[in-house]
Amino acid sequence: MGNDLREQMPHVQVWDAPTRLFHWMVVILIFVSWLSADQGYMTVHLCSGLALLALLLFRIGWGLIGSTTARFSDFLHPPRAVLSYLRGGEGLYAGHNPAGGLMVAVLIAVLLVQAITGLFANDGLHFSGPLALLVSDDTSTWVTSLHGTIFNILLLLIWCHVVAVGFYLFVKGHNLVKAMVTGRKPHAHIPAGLRITFARTYIALLLLLAVLTAGGVAWFIIQGGVFL
Amino acid sequence: MSALAYFGGVALATALGLAMAMLLRPGFAHAVLQTVGLESVPEASANSFYTVRVAPLFQAHCISCHGATRAKGGLRLDSFAGAMRGGKHGAVVAARDAKDSELLTRVTLPATDDKAMPPSGKTPLNTDEVTVIRLWIAAGASGTLPVSAIKGAPRLVAPVKMPQINPAAVAKLRAPLAKQVAQLQNRFPGVIQYDSRSSADLVIDASPRREAFGDADLRALAPLRDRIVELNLSGTAVTDASAPALAAMPLLRTLRLTGTHTTGVTVQALSPSKTLRVLAIEKASADALAPLRQRGVRIYEAANGQ
Repeated sequence: MGNDLREQMPHVQVWDAPTRLFHWMVVILIFVSWLSADQGYMTVHLCSGLALLALLLFRIGWGLIGSTTARFSDFLHPPRAVLSYLRGGEGLYAGHNPAGGLMVAVLIAVLLVQAITGLFANDGLHFSGPLALLVSDDTSTWVTSLHGTIFNILLLLIWCHVVAVGFYLFVKGHNLVKAMVTGRKPHAHIPAGLRITFARTYIALLLLLAVLTAGGVAWFIIQGGVFL
Repeated sequence: MSALAYFGGVALATALGLAMAMLLRPGFAHAVLQTVGLESVPEASANSFYTVRVAPLFQAHCISCHGATRAKGGLRLDSFAGAMRGGKHGAVVAARDAKDSELLTRVTLPATDDKAMPPSGKTPLNTDEVTVIRLWIAAGASGTLPVSAIKGAPRLVAPVKMPQINPAAVAKLRAPLAKQVAQLQNRFPGVIQYDSRSSADLVIDASPRREAFGDADLRALAPLRDRIVELNLSGTAVTDASAPALAAMPLLRTLRLTGTHTTGVTVQALSPSKTLRVLAIEKASADALAPLRQRGVRIYEAANGQ
């Protein structure tokens, strides 16, 4: 019966739409953030940075209440498990494997620090992050320097991520890129009998709305706006 | 594909990507080559025109945005190597070609231009400073050419640095006499001033009060005598009766007595003073003045105009 099902449904849904959208939106926003800063379009840089921050906060929430494969509890493993996997440990994972899960967590953390430091940064000319005035000039300058350094760390992490994805594609024959686009993996690449629970999409929308509302309220408070 | 082949491909792709980045960003290329030792790091000598004349301009106007803390556009002007390396869009200095040097172009753009450097709100380079940079580039943008080798540079003017004044420290210094000073300033408006913003020493100028200022008034200043460094009594009614009071001022450097009723008696009373440097007087004999002259006190005698 199990084999019949696998033959009838060679692919199975593993990634929900919010997780996939998050992934590709982050890719686009990192590129836009780099390009806008490089070319001096700081207003665009601000918008992409804030959007990235909102997405990251959403993803953290989604990691707690989202679908099975989106949850931190699914892809965060003890260090020993990560090391064992990197040493050639076998095992199938519907979502992120232990090493991939660690990479996702690190990327989210670094991106979060990058987005937050951007709030306090300045370009030394006519642009300052929305929270730069809350700190001294020296602190803002230091944070700006940190913002630049973290971007280089981010580039290194992205390089590692892409190399790992390529390794799975060319060496192990697992097309993770396609899976992150379609949300589906071949049945043979996931553990047999695994049940994945998908959270409702409207919950993701409500979560995103909550993040945006919180961000909006924070913005008005910082700006001394209508709510105060 | 085997893992070995894959990682070989990754290494190749990474090297190609790095090479492409180095081609697109010459500044990055120089940084990489200099870091791995394939290119020497250009350095400026201590007495070069660059170090003496150009680097201080970069220090004053540029490195807050193009330095170690922040390197906008990938450009660092806090070292000769950084200036010659240029930014992410390439070199900013074209040796012997000032017109084609982005650095000079930027600092000579009108302030309203978005690309003008330093940007609006920061102190622009003045004409002399621009000339220094132009001459340096025209002479080859060298890091070793000595100052004397580049002719026509505007004269170097040492920057004036105002010392920082600590109001609390000054108040503490003045505290012992502050009350008496304030009272006597009320009694003799415009006569008593502090020697400087940071000093507790006093300068007394009673000359505007003319004959209304006499020996009794000078005696009233006795509480301040330990801090009086300059005393102008020209044209006042002061007489030789004030000689002891004048001699009792331990810091007195300058004393003007022209137009007073003082004589050689007062001069003799001042003879032991070790601080007096300038004396202006009208009625005193050469003999009375001799000891002061011997000690190097500059004497101004109204009678002979010395």
